[in-house]
Amino acid sequence: MDLAFTPEEQKFREDIRAWVQANLPADISHKVHNALHLTREDMQNWAKILGKKGWLGHAWPKEFGGPGWNSVQKHLFEEECALAGAPRVVPFGPVMVAPVIMAFGNAEQQKRFLPGIADGSVWWSQGYSEPGSGSDLASVKTRAERQGNKYIVNGQKTWTTLGQYGEWIFCLVRTSTEGKPQTGISFLLIDMKSPGVTVRPIIMLDGGHEVNEVFFDNVEVPVDNLIGEENKGWNYAKHLLAHERTNIADVNRTKRELERLKRIAKTEGVYDDVRFRDEIAKLEVDVVALEMLVLRVLAAEKSGKNPLDIAGLLKIRGSEIQQRYAELMMLAAGPYAVPLIREAMEAGWQGNFPGGAVGNAPLASTYFNLRKTTIYGGSNEVQRNIVSQVVLG
Amino acid sequence: MDFDFSDDQEQLRDAVRKYVDKGYSFERRRAAEKAGGFDRAAYNELAELGLTGLYVPEDDGGMGMGPVEGMVVMEELGRGIVLEPLAQALIAGAVIAGYGDAATKAAWLPGIASGEKLVVLAYQERAARYKLDVCEAKATQAPGGYVINATKNVVPVGDQADAFIVPAKVNSQLALFIVERNSAGVTTSGYGTQEGGRAADVVLKNAPATLLTMDGQTALEHAVDIGIAATCAEAVGVMDKTLAITAEYLNTRKQFGVVISSFQALRHRAADMKMQLELARSMSYYASLKLNAPAAERRAALARAKYQLGNSMRFIGQQAVQLHGGIGVTDEYIVSHYFKKLTQMEMTFGDTLHHLGEVSARMQDTAGVFA
Repeated sequence: MDLAFTPEEQKFREDIRAWVQANLPADISHKVHNALHLTREDMQNWAKILGKKGWLGHAWPKEFGGPGWNSVQKHLFEEECALAGAPRVVPFGPVMVAPVIMAFGNAEQQKRFLPGIADGSVWWSQGYSEPGSGSDLASVKTRAERQGNKYIVNGQKTWTTLGQYGEWIFCLVRTSTEGKPQTGISFLLIDMKSPGVTVRPIIMLDGGHEVNEVFFDNVEVPVDNLIGEENKGWNYAKHLLAHERTNIADVNRTKRELERLKRIAKTEGVYDDVRFRDEIAKLEVDVVALEMLVLRVLAAEKSGKNPLDIAGLLKIRGSEIQQRYAELMMLAAGPYAVPLIREAMEAGWQGNFPGGAVGNAPLASTYFNLRKTTIYGGSNEVQRNIVSQVVLG
Repeated sequence: MDFDFSDDQEQLRDAVRKYVDKGYSFERRRAAEKAGGFDRAAYNELAELGLTGLYVPEDDGGMGMGPVEGMVVMEELGRGIVLEPLAQALIAGAVIAGYGDAATKAAWLPGIASGEKLVVLAYQERAARYKLDVCEAKATQAPGGYVINATKNVVPVGDQADAFIVPAKVNSQLALFIVERNSAGVTTSGYGTQEGGRAADVVLKNAPATLLTMDGQTALEHAVDIGIAATCAEAVGVMDKTLAITAEYLNTRKQFGVVISSFQALRHRAADMKMQLELARSMSYYASLKLNAPAAERRAALARAKYQLGNSMRFIGQQAVQLHGGIGVTDEYIVSHYFKKLTQMEMTFGDTLHHLGEVSARMQDTAGVFA
């Protein structure tokens, strides 16, 4: 047993840190460190910088052009990016659909789709949830009917994150109503520029446009865009979920945000208030415990000796902690979290924010926004069902 | 970074588990509780396994092992809610080996390892609560050494231990001493504890004492941190078993014609217990892996760990009883004994609020395991 990273891992971390420092644009990290609004260009700019280095698909194996890092190296890379204030990599292409294409796509599909994901040039979206299919994902109703060498797709997806920028979307579609709901689902890649695809914004409680509805009205999709076999899509989707594991806890970003919470608390004069400070102290331990849990999973993956099946715990705890730091930031600002001045959440705004601390501008919005974390990716109640199966069978 | 146990550590775990399963039944524990809360024969069996000498150097007759081995052993003893205070042997072995001079080591360490000498930390004072820098005990020089005047409360097996490690002030300097129980001027009054074990108040009136170290504050903090790590590990074993007992009950007990584990409200509670168990296990690892770190780093880490463990212990103990329903609040069924053990451990070596204060006071601008 050893808590320390090896000298090789330390060296790896330092190399990553130096590279991120040299390549992450300062205007982007400034926005991330201060929770200011990130544009499509900011996100894509960073994706392309990573792509050029071959690190956008940082978890990819070497045979597909990835760096072939082990679980600890991947973690160190993600941590260095997060602590430096890099934007979150939009996961739908490099983290979600790429591993499915690698594992179940044919050689032609791999050649066709992976390069555009690896270099960050093609924006992917996820078409899973539907109005009637949230936690019960296997109930998806969007139909794909085979007609010759194409599918005709009809239906609706929802909660499509950043779908307004999407160029391609991977979808779970129903190709059969026979048997169990899980057995009639297929995994289909759809060009969002196809006739019949409509994207409608959903404005969230914080006023942001982050998610969308996507409508499919007699959309023609070549059968070449089917991944694997028809009606086996549920298995591929499960494979995708298995690739989320530790980054779902988001502990690296949480460490950065806990440091920010301390700065805000100092600025607002509550850091030395015992009642408030103790709440930060509780969160401090929560974050250490979560990080230890993540490190245990990573180390187990690396050694392969005692795999830990506690992804559900990571999701529950990670999301609760994200909500808690956002809540404490808002409460630290107190009355100065109340003014709703949207321009003050944009970089470079020169106006006067009430009280003078413009850093308070986005705090309530972030708090509202992060209520999603215990709902998405399998609600925490569904996660508790999964964890209870481990305990009780 | 590596959280696997070595083959030797797994063998040690197996050996202790076998002993607990075969040699330390619930009936034997009950008998020990009825007989006053301490079973010297059982303590000697732990010594025969080498456990009392775990932290005693090999040259002094011990096993010369480290915090991870200590953690493995304590987890297994926790699983069987063993009453005998092995954590005290770990503290005494490490503190005397780390701070004593050659004569003191030679006088005490072989006996601690063999089990012939049971040495416990007698530090609790009425005015101090969990603070380690508050001490009213006074030591004064006398022919041949020192004499101490002090009252120490809730000393583990205080009326049956062979000697005490006693913090006392020499002028304004905190020092640690060894006091033998059968010396003149030592009075003990023993009593049972909530978990079924034994403790005593120890009154020293001009009791002769051997100086262990004048650097008493450093040594006492170290001693308590060893105790915290041991308690955290023991608690993980207790909680692991508590959850297993509860899961088995939920899968057996029928109401409304079905096993009660089919009810989602109860399933979610079990999931929450699993969460607390795994957070606690993670922080117990953290505590043991930080036990040999420089003092400031070690103190901060152990406070974080005990805070987490305290929360986990209280939640798992209370929920285990709740999920059992009526049988959970009886003495005859085993789960209440696990609950009481957890409850007492929360108040050992600093409770949850105390350690929250420690974490809060030591907070830095940075965050995370390595900060």
